[in-house]
Amino acid sequence: MDGVAQLQKQLVDYTASLFQEGFLDEQFNQLQQLQDESNPDFVVEVVSLFFEDSERLLNELAKALEQKTIDFRKVDAHVHQFKGSSSSIGAQRVQKVCIAFRNYCEEQNIEGCLKCLQQVKHEYSLVKSKLETLFKIEKQLIAAGGSIPT
Amino acid sequence: MASDTDYDSDGMRDNGNGGSSEGNGRRRRHPMMTWRNNLRALVVDNGRICRIMESGLLDAYGVEVEAVGTGEAAVELIASGETFDLIVIEMFLPFMSGPETARTIREMGITSKILGIAPMYWEKDAQEFLAAGIDEFLEKPFTPELFVPFLREIDNQK
Repeated sequence: MDGVAQLQKQLVDYTASLFQEGFLDEQFNQLQQLQDESNPDFVVEVVSLFFEDSERLLNELAKALEQKTIDFRKVDAHVHQFKGSSSSIGAQRVQKVCIAFRNYCEEQNIEGCLKCLQQVKHEYSLVKSKLETLFKIEKQLIAAGGSIPT
Repeated sequence: MASDTDYDSDGMRDNGNGGSSEGNGRRRRHPMMTWRNNLRALVVDNGRICRIMESGLLDAYGVEVEAVGTGEAAVELIASGETFDLIVIEMFLPFMSGPETARTIREMGITSKILGIAPMYWEKDAQEFLAAGIDEFLEKPFTPELFVPFLREIDNQK
Protein backbone atom coordinates (compact mmCIF):
# COMPACT_ATOMS: atom_id res chain seq x y z
CA MET A 1 0.00 0.00 0.00
CA ASP A 2 1.49 3.34 -0.94
CA GLY A 3 1.78 6.29 1.47
CA VAL A 4 -1.39 8.09 0.41
CA ALA A 5 -3.54 4.95 0.46
CA GLN A 6 -2.16 4.06 3.88
CA LEU A 7 -3.01 7.50 5.27
CA GLN A 8 -6.45 7.35 3.74
CA LYS A 9 -7.07 4.00 5.40
CA GLN A 10 -5.73 5.36 8.69
CA LEU A 11 -8.11 8.31 8.43
CA VAL A 12 -11.15 6.18 7.60
CA ASP A 13 -10.37 3.69 10.38
CA TYR A 14 -9.69 6.40 12.96
CA THR A 15 -12.87 8.28 12.10
CA ALA A 16 -14.89 5.05 12.33
CA SER A 17 -13.42 4.33 15.77
CA LEU A 18 -14.51 7.75 17.05
CA PHE A 19 -18.09 6.94 16.08
CA GLN A 20 -17.90 3.39 17.44
CA GLU A 21 -16.56 4.58 20.79
CA GLY A 22 -19.33 7.18 21.02
CA PHE A 23 -17.09 10.25 20.92
CA LEU A 24 -18.88 11.50 17.82
CA ASP A 25 -22.39 11.08 16.47
CA GLU A 26 -24.21 11.67 13.19
CA GLN A 27 -24.10 15.47 13.67
CA PHE A 28 -20.36 15.35 12.95
CA ASN A 29 -21.24 13.98 9.51
CA GLN A 30 -23.54 16.98 9.02
CA LEU A 31 -20.63 19.25 9.92
CA GLN A 32 -18.36 17.49 7.43
CA GLN A 33 -20.99 17.82 4.70
CA LEU A 34 -20.89 21.59 5.08
CA GLN A 35 -17.25 21.61 3.99
CA ASP A 36 -16.85 22.13 0.26
CA GLU A 37 -14.65 23.94 -2.20
CA SER A 38 -16.00 27.32 -1.09
CA ASN A 39 -15.44 26.43 2.60
CA PRO A 40 -12.43 24.08 2.51
CA ASP A 41 -11.50 24.48 6.20
CA PHE A 42 -15.01 24.64 7.61
CA VAL A 43 -14.71 21.63 9.93
CA VAL A 44 -11.40 22.74 11.48
CA GLU A 45 -12.68 26.32 11.86
CA VAL A 46 -15.92 25.33 13.58
CA VAL A 47 -14.23 22.76 15.82
CA SER A 48 -11.60 25.37 16.81
CA LEU A 49 -14.39 27.71 17.82
CA PHE A 50 -15.94 24.84 19.77
CA PHE A 51 -12.63 24.40 21.65
CA GLU A 52 -12.55 28.12 22.46
CA ASP A 53 -16.16 28.22 23.63
CA SER A 54 -15.77 25.03 25.67
CA GLU A 55 -12.71 26.27 27.51
CA ARG A 56 -14.49 29.51 28.34
CA LEU A 57 -17.57 27.63 29.55
CA LEU A 58 -15.51 25.24 31.68
CA ASN A 59 -13.80 28.23 33.34
CA GLU A 60 -17.16 29.92 33.95
CA LEU A 61 -18.59 26.70 35.40
CA ALA A 62 -15.63 26.22 37.74
CA LYS A 63 -15.90 29.84 38.91
CA ALA A 64 -19.66 29.61 39.42
CA LEU A 65 -19.34 26.41 41.47
CA GLU A 66 -16.60 27.89 43.67
CA GLN A 67 -18.85 30.67 44.95
CA LYS A 68 -20.01 30.67 48.58
CA THR A 69 -23.58 30.97 47.39
CA ILE A 70 -23.93 29.13 44.10
CA ASP A 71 -26.16 30.72 41.49
CA PHE A 72 -27.60 27.54 39.98
CA ARG A 73 -29.38 29.49 37.25
CA LYS A 74 -26.01 30.70 36.02
CA VAL A 75 -24.57 27.19 36.18
CA ASP A 76 -27.64 25.89 34.35
CA ALA A 77 -27.26 28.52 31.62
CA HIS A 78 -23.62 27.54 31.02
CA VAL A 79 -24.52 23.83 30.93
CA HIS A 80 -27.26 24.57 28.38
CA GLN A 81 -24.75 26.43 26.21
CA PHE A 82 -22.29 23.56 26.46
CA LYS A 83 -24.94 21.00 25.55
CA GLY A 84 -25.97 23.19 22.62
CA SER A 85 -22.50 23.61 21.20
CA SER A 86 -21.43 20.00 21.78
CA SER A 87 -24.60 18.67 20.15
CA SER A 88 -24.07 21.03 17.20
CA ILE A 89 -20.78 19.39 16.28
CA GLY A 90 -21.68 15.86 17.35
CA ALA A 91 -19.57 15.57 20.53
CA GLN A 92 -21.85 12.88 21.92
CA ARG A 93 -20.16 11.95 25.20
CA VAL A 94 -19.84 15.61 26.26
CA GLN A 95 -23.54 16.10 25.52
CA LYS A 96 -24.52 13.14 27.69
CA VAL A 97 -22.68 14.52 30.71
CA CYS A 98 -24.40 17.89 30.18
CA ILE A 99 -27.79 16.19 30.51
CA ALA A 100 -26.84 14.68 33.88
CA PHE A 101 -25.28 18.02 34.89
CA ARG A 102 -28.50 19.88 34.16
CA ASN A 103 -30.47 17.45 36.34
CA TYR A 104 -28.14 18.10 39.29
CA CYS A 105 -28.52 21.86 38.74
CA GLU A 106 -32.28 21.51 38.89
CA GLU A 107 -31.92 19.65 42.21
CA GLN A 108 -29.36 22.24 43.40
CA ASN A 109 -27.11 19.29 44.22
CA ILE A 110 -23.62 20.78 44.66
CA GLU A 111 -21.83 17.47 44.95
CA GLY A 112 -23.54 16.16 41.82
CA CYS A 113 -22.64 19.35 39.93
CA LEU A 114 -19.00 19.16 40.98
CA LYS A 115 -18.85 15.53 39.91
CA CYS A 116 -20.36 16.41 36.54
CA LEU A 117 -17.92 19.28 36.10
CA GLN A 118 -15.04 16.82 36.48
CA GLN A 119 -16.71 14.38 34.09
CA VAL A 120 -17.44 17.00 31.44
CA LYS A 121 -13.87 18.33 31.69
CA HIS A 122 -12.60 14.79 31.18
CA GLU A 123 -14.89 14.01 28.23
CA TYR A 124 -14.09 17.36 26.64
CA SER A 125 -10.33 16.80 26.90
CA LEU A 126 -10.74 13.32 25.38
CA VAL A 127 -12.78 14.50 22.38
CA LYS A 128 -10.44 17.46 21.90
CA SER A 129 -7.43 15.19 21.73
CA LYS A 130 -9.24 12.75 19.39
CA LEU A 131 -10.28 15.54 17.01
CA GLU A 132 -6.78 17.03 17.04
CA THR A 133 -5.41 13.62 16.05
CA LEU A 134 -8.01 13.37 13.28
CA PHE A 135 -7.01 16.76 11.89
CA LYS A 136 -3.34 15.80 12.09
CA ILE A 137 -3.94 12.70 9.96
CA GLU A 138 -5.95 14.78 7.46
CA LYS A 139 -3.12 17.28 7.23
CA GLN A 140 -0.57 14.50 6.65
CA LEU A 141 -2.80 13.02 3.96
CA ILE A 142 -3.12 16.34 2.15
CA ALA A 143 0.61 17.00 2.46
CA ALA A 144 1.26 13.59 0.89
CA GLY A 145 -0.86 14.64 -2.09
CA GLY A 146 -3.99 12.79 -1.10
CA SER A 147 -7.52 14.04 -0.60
CA ILE A 148 -9.94 13.49 2.23
CA PRO A 149 -12.37 10.67 1.36
CA THR A 150 -16.02 11.81 1.43
CA MET B 1 -22.23 41.14 4.90
CA ALA B 2 -20.03 39.07 7.19
CA SER B 3 -16.77 38.01 5.60
CA ASP B 4 -16.13 34.42 4.67
CA THR B 5 -13.90 33.81 7.66
CA ASP B 6 -15.45 36.12 10.18
CA TYR B 7 -15.38 33.47 12.87
CA ASP B 8 -12.96 34.79 15.43
CA SER B 9 -15.39 37.36 16.74
CA ASP B 10 -18.78 36.56 18.09
CA GLY B 11 -19.88 36.51 14.47
CA MET B 12 -21.83 39.74 14.96
CA ARG B 13 -20.49 42.89 13.48
CA ASP B 14 -21.57 44.95 16.43
CA ASN B 15 -22.61 43.97 19.90
CA GLY B 16 -25.30 45.27 22.14
CA ASN B 17 -29.01 44.82 22.11
CA GLY B 18 -29.55 45.95 18.55
CA GLY B 19 -26.74 44.09 16.94
CA SER B 20 -26.66 43.40 13.28
CA SER B 21 -27.17 40.25 11.35
CA GLU B 22 -24.76 37.94 9.66
CA GLY B 23 -25.69 37.43 6.07
CA ASN B 24 -24.71 34.22 4.41
CA GLY B 25 -21.57 35.66 2.91
CA ARG B 26 -20.92 32.51 0.97
CA ARG B 27 -23.85 30.74 -0.73
CA ARG B 28 -23.26 27.13 -1.64
CA ARG B 29 -22.92 26.54 -5.33
CA HIS B 30 -24.70 23.20 -5.20
CA PRO B 31 -27.41 23.18 -2.53
CA MET B 32 -28.63 19.78 -1.42
CA MET B 33 -32.21 20.72 -2.24
CA THR B 34 -33.88 23.24 -4.49
CA TRP B 35 -37.25 24.82 -4.01
CA ARG B 36 -39.92 26.26 -6.29
CA ASN B 37 -39.78 29.51 -4.37
CA ASN B 38 -37.01 31.61 -2.87
CA LEU B 39 -37.03 30.64 0.81
CA ARG B 40 -35.64 32.97 3.48
CA ALA B 41 -34.94 32.03 7.08
CA LEU B 42 -33.95 33.94 10.19
CA VAL B 43 -31.92 32.13 12.84
CA VAL B 44 -31.97 33.62 16.35
CA ASP B 45 -29.39 31.91 18.57
CA ASN B 46 -26.86 33.40 21.00
CA GLY B 47 -24.58 30.33 20.82
CA ARG B 48 -22.18 30.98 17.96
CA ILE B 49 -21.43 27.32 17.19
CA CYS B 50 -25.17 26.59 17.12
CA ARG B 51 -25.81 29.67 14.98
CA ILE B 52 -23.08 28.73 12.49
CA MET B 53 -24.37 25.16 12.17
CA GLU B 54 -28.05 26.14 11.95
CA SER B 55 -27.30 28.77 9.29
CA GLY B 56 -24.86 26.50 7.49
CA LEU B 57 -27.32 23.62 7.25
CA LEU B 58 -30.22 25.79 6.09
CA ASP B 59 -27.94 27.36 3.51
CA ALA B 60 -26.80 23.92 2.37
CA TYR B 61 -30.45 23.06 1.79
CA GLY B 62 -31.01 26.02 -0.48
CA VAL B 63 -32.36 28.59 1.98
CA GLU B 64 -31.23 32.21 2.14
CA VAL B 65 -30.30 32.76 5.80
CA GLU B 66 -29.85 35.70 8.13
CA ALA B 67 -28.55 34.95 11.64
CA VAL B 68 -28.62 37.08 14.78
CA GLY B 69 -27.62 36.49 18.38
CA THR B 70 -30.40 38.19 20.33
CA GLY B 71 -34.17 38.45 20.32
CA GLU B 72 -33.83 42.23 20.19
CA ALA B 73 -31.81 42.02 16.96
CA ALA B 74 -34.43 39.71 15.45
CA VAL B 75 -37.26 42.09 16.30
CA GLU B 76 -35.30 45.04 14.94
CA LEU B 77 -34.62 43.22 11.67
CA ILE B 78 -38.27 42.33 11.21
CA ALA B 79 -39.38 45.85 12.20
CA SER B 80 -37.08 47.22 9.49
CA GLY B 81 -39.20 45.39 6.92
CA GLU B 82 -37.24 42.19 6.37
CA THR B 83 -39.48 39.22 5.73
CA PHE B 84 -38.78 35.58 6.39
CA ASP B 85 -40.57 32.36 5.53
CA LEU B 86 -39.07 30.57 8.51
CA ILE B 87 -37.88 31.91 11.87
CA VAL B 88 -35.87 29.66 14.19
CA ILE B 89 -35.56 30.86 17.79
CA GLU B 90 -33.45 29.43 20.62
CA MET B 91 -35.41 29.18 23.90
CA PHE B 92 -32.72 30.41 26.27
CA LEU B 93 -31.67 33.75 24.77
CA PRO B 94 -29.78 36.10 27.13
CA PHE B 95 -31.92 39.26 27.37
CA MET B 96 -35.28 38.98 25.60
CA SER B 97 -36.00 35.25 25.99
CA GLY B 98 -37.04 32.94 23.16
CA PRO B 99 -40.71 32.99 24.20
CA GLU B 100 -40.67 36.80 24.61
CA THR B 101 -39.12 37.12 21.16
CA ALA B 102 -41.73 34.83 19.61
CA ARG B 103 -44.56 36.70 21.35
CA THR B 104 -43.25 40.07 20.16
CA ILE B 105 -42.88 38.86 16.58
CA ARG B 106 -46.43 37.49 16.58
CA GLU B 107 -47.71 40.78 18.02
CA MET B 108 -46.11 42.50 15.03
CA GLY B 109 -48.52 40.52 12.86
CA ILE B 110 -45.95 38.06 11.50
CA THR B 111 -47.59 34.80 10.45
CA SER B 112 -44.42 33.06 9.20
CA LYS B 113 -43.57 29.59 10.48
CA ILE B 114 -41.70 29.91 13.78
CA LEU B 115 -39.74 26.98 15.21
CA GLY B 116 -38.55 27.07 18.80
CA ILE B 117 -35.37 25.13 19.61
CA ALA B 118 -33.49 24.27 22.79
CA PRO B 119 -30.52 22.07 23.75
CA MET B 120 -32.45 20.54 26.65
CA TYR B 121 -35.82 21.35 28.13
CA TRP B 122 -38.44 20.51 30.67
CA GLU B 123 -42.01 20.07 29.48
CA LYS B 124 -43.02 23.40 31.03
CA ASP B 125 -40.42 25.16 28.82
CA ALA B 126 -41.98 23.66 25.70
CA GLN B 127 -45.47 24.65 26.86
CA GLU B 128 -44.35 28.23 27.56
CA PHE B 129 -42.73 28.52 24.15
CA LEU B 130 -45.76 27.10 22.33
CA ALA B 131 -48.09 29.42 24.26
CA ALA B 132 -45.92 32.33 23.07
CA GLY B 133 -46.83 31.54 19.48
CA ILE B 134 -44.28 29.18 17.96
CA ASP B 135 -45.56 26.52 15.59
CA GLU B 136 -43.35 23.69 16.74
CA PHE B 137 -40.76 23.03 19.44
CA LEU B 138 -37.65 21.01 18.58
CA GLU B 139 -34.71 19.70 20.55
CA LYS B 140 -31.25 20.59 19.21
CA PRO B 141 -29.29 19.76 17.15
CA PHE B 142 -31.26 21.40 14.36
CA THR B 143 -30.88 18.78 11.64
CA PRO B 144 -32.12 18.56 8.04
CA GLU B 145 -34.28 15.62 9.13
CA LEU B 146 -36.12 18.07 11.42
CA PHE B 147 -36.32 21.15 9.22
CA VAL B 148 -36.76 19.83 5.66
CA PRO B 149 -40.43 18.85 6.20
CA PHE B 150 -41.16 22.42 7.31
CA LEU B 151 -39.37 23.86 4.28
CA ARG B 152 -41.39 21.56 2.03
CA GLU B 153 -44.62 22.69 3.66
CA ILE B 154 -43.68 26.37 3.34
CA ASP B 155 -42.60 25.95 -0.28
CA ASN B 156 -45.84 24.16 -1.19
CA GLN B 157 -47.97 26.85 0.42
CA LYS B 158 -46.20 29.82 -1.18
